Parts: sequence; C-alpha cells; structure tokens
Amino acid sequence: MAGHLQLQTGWRPMPTNSCFLDLSSTTFAYEGSFGDVVSNINWSVPEGGVHCLVGRSGCGKTTLLKLAAGLLQPTSGSVKMLGADVPKPSQHVGFVFQSPSLLEWQTILNNVLLPVSLHRPITLTDQTAAKELLQLVGLEEHTNRYPGQLSGGQQSRVALARALITEPDGLLMDEPFAALDAITREELQDDLLQLAALHHTTVLFVTHDIGEAVYLADKVAVMDAGHIVFATDVALSRPRNQTQRYSSEFNAACLELRKAMIPEMRGTA
Amino acid sequence: MNRTSFLSLTLFLVLLLLWESVVRTTGVSALVIPAPSAVLSVLWDGLTVGFLWPHIWVTSVETLVGFALGCIIGFLAGVILGEIEFLRQLLWPYVLASQVVPKLALGPIFIVWFGFGMTSTIVITALICFFPLLENTMTGLQTITPDKRDLFRMLGASRWQTLLKLKIPSGLPVIMAGVRVAIVLALVGAVVGEFIGGSAGLGSSIITAQGMMDSTLMFALFIVITALGMLFYQLTILVEHQLLSGWMKGQNQ
Repeated sequence: MAGHLQLQTGWRPMPTNSCFLDLSSTTFAYEGSFGDVVSNINWSVPEGGVHCLVGRSGCGKTTLLKLAAGLLQPTSGSVKMLGADVPKPSQHVGFVFQSPSLLEWQTILNNVLLPVSLHRPITLTDQTAAKELLQLVGLEEHTNRYPGQLSGGQQSRVALARALITEPDGLLMDEPFAALDAITREELQDDLLQLAALHHTTVLFVTHDIGEAVYLADKVAVMDAGHIVFATDVALSRPRNQTQRYSSEFNAACLELRKAMIPEMRGTA
Repeated sequence: MNRTSFLSLTLFLVLLLLWESVVRTTGVSALVIPAPSAVLSVLWDGLTVGFLWPHIWVTSVETLVGFALGCIIGFLAGVILGEIEFLRQLLWPYVLASQVVPKLALGPIFIVWFGFGMTSTIVITALICFFPLLENTMTGLQTITPDKRDLFRMLGASRWQTLLKLKIPSGLPVIMAGVRVAIVLALVGAVVGEFIGGSAGLGSSIITAQGMMDSTLMFALFIVITALGMLFYQLTILVEHQLLSGWMKGQNQ
C-alpha cells in the first residue's frame, strides 16, 4: 500500500502527524441560501492515501473539495491540513479542475511553470523539472506548443503536470478526466497513480464515475445531498493494472457503490 | 492571387469602366459626377505636386494621436471599472449617458474650449475611441472562467498578478476587437472633426473643395481617406496578430 511507503521527498511541517487532511463536523452553506450544501462531514485522509468521493451532480462533492482546498471556509466544524486550519488556499496542495484551465496564450512549458513563475523567477532547474514532468506524462515533444494545438487528453496531462511542478504534498482533483474518452481516461488514471506513488502524494479525487473511483482509491466515500452516506475500503492490490478492472472483486466493489448511490437501494448495500 | 480576389479586382475595373463610359456618353456635369479618369488625374497631381501631403499628414497625426489617447485612457478606465465593483456601479449610468451623446455634436463646444485646429479634432477623435475600449476592456476582464479564477487563488497569486497574468491576457481578443472598432471610428472622427473646426487636413480640404464646387477634388479626397483607413486597419490587424500569436496558434489547428 502506498500509505506504508517511507517519505522520500517533500517538506512536511508536522512529520509526526500521519493524517494529511481531517474534516471534522464540516458544514457549509452559501450565504442567504436555505440548507447546507455540505453537512456534518467527518472524514480524514492519511498521508499518501488515495481517496475518492463519488456522488451524483449537485451532491456537494465539489464544494467539499473546495473546503479542503481553502477556497471556501466552513460555516461550522473544521478543516485541518497537516494539523493546521486552512484559512486560505494552501501551497502544499495542487488542485486539478474539471476543465484543464490552461492559459491559451502561453506555451505548454510556461503553463506547467505557472505555479513557480507567480512566486519567483524561473531557473534552469525549474525548466528541467517541468520538462521531466512533461516527459512523464508523454508530452516532451510538445513543450513549445500552445494549448489549442493539443487534444483534450493532452491538455489534461498538462494540467496534471502543472499541479505537480511544486511537488505538493497533496492533490485535490475535481472530476479532471470527466470530459475524456474511456481509453484516454484509463491511461490518465494510470499516469496519476504512478505520479502520486512517485512522490508519495496524497490524493483526494472527486468523480461521478464508480469504476474510476474503485480503480484509483484506497477508500471511497459516497455523497448524497451534502452527506457522506456510505464509505468502503477498496481491497484491490497495488500497483493497479487494467486487468483488475475485469476481476470479480472490482465488479463487486462497483456494485456495492452503485447500490449506495441510489437512496432506495442503500439499505441493501 | 486566388480566384475570388481576381474576380473582385475584375469587378472593380468593370465598374470603373462603366462609370467612365456613362459620364462620357451622357455628358453629365463634372460638378455632379466627375469621370474616374479626371479624379485619378487630380489625385495624381495632388500626390506628385504635393499639395495633398500636408493634409494627409495632419489627418494622420490627428487620427493616430486621438486613437492612441482614446485607447490608452479607455483601456485604463476599463481596467479600473472592471476591477472595482463599487466604481462600476457608481459610474456606469454616467458612462452610458456619455456614450449615448453623439460625440460629434460636442465639436462646437470643443472649439470654444480648445480653439480651431488640431487640438479640438484630436479631443473628438480620442473621445470617440474611448468608449469601444472602455466597454471591451470591461467585458474582456470578466471573460475568465471560474476554474481559472480559482486556479490563481489556489496558486496564491496576488490581485495584481491575477490582473496582469490572467484577466488582461484572457480578455485580449475582446480588447483587440475594441481596438479594431476604434481605429475605424478614429478616422471618421478626425475627418468629421475637421469639417467642424479644422483649418488643415483631408476633412477640411473636402469643405474647401465644396466651397470651390470642385467635386473632382472631393472624389480624389474620398479615395485618399479610404486608402488611409484601410492602411490603418491593416496595421491594427498586424499588431493584433502579433499580440495574439499564442491564441492564433491554438485556433488554427
């Protein structure tokens, strides 16, 4: 399991704390709206863990991810990252959005370097690091091209490389592969797992695709109407490979989650 | 030259020949419609003898200085109103009202304030260019997607960085569309500004030609103004392509 690997790289402010993200009674409501978008969530992600949140559109999973990122503040309860509150977006995590959100007027290389260039001048080491990341996602030929010249899958890979350039401790991902075709999505899932294992990166991944959640995660939570209604550990061995998708354990896990996502069937899950 | 532009040029020459033959066969007065040959001969004289050049210079300076001033001030005002919600709400009714006022109708008062000559015309031209830039800059800055705004927040970008590295580059295609509108309006502003208060320039020359009932010269001046407008427009397109080269590379594929 990735969670038991020794730390190799990356700075940890609280090395004694093995919990990366801890949500405790976390509740959020938009100002002036009725009802909570996210209600009384208790959830923690250990360092190096890969957790997925599944749920149907509008169930509050993106809001939960934004709370974890510090883009939103909980109305009550707490969100702690490495033991500290997250009053503003933390530099320890990278966020990958549903759309690749690349800057169309910048080259692929400069897009990957954006998180660095906002804080200090780019060095040769940064450039090398960015090129290595692009090589890892199979885009070394495209460093000097522009986002519009790349396919959707390639753009998503650039977004992933951009999130990893600062070697973050954690990655928060909001349905980043939802718009891609099935084969490209599977390739990117493998890329993500490899890259996350490489630097022992913690991943919280939001998706509406049950198969994706089971394939990626150590643990999957199902959200419905702002609550976590079901959670399960995924017992598949790591590293994951595509043949596992057709195994009986994989299908059993998918079925269990599918039942949990439909309110009427939840009792039988 | 491709087939369509060849046909386009042929059509132009045919129309010119038709015009020439109608004028010659019907013997219509040159005061009403001068023959193209006469217009071209006046134009040629004007350019070779040189009496047109000072006027071309004056109108070009007025157009470009007015255009530059209007664009810069419009852009800056657009950025300020686009960024500061309170100011936008406070000033928007005034902006709208002043946009509706026909700018050329303000010409006479500008003559009172700035006197006859280039200054009044430049002010009118700048005022005409101001609004497309103000409006397009304001709109352009709002075009960023929520994901990109959140991305910059996640990356800890300052407000200034978000403006310079995200909002302005994102809005550049919309802003440049405003610049294209402005350059066309600038020449109209300069020429019509000269009608009201100019002592030199192509617009002022049209008024002089009218006074002398010299329609042939007026037609020659129309050609010069049209050529000047097309030149300025093409230069703007060139600058736009330079600025948006990254965008363009994306779109062409």
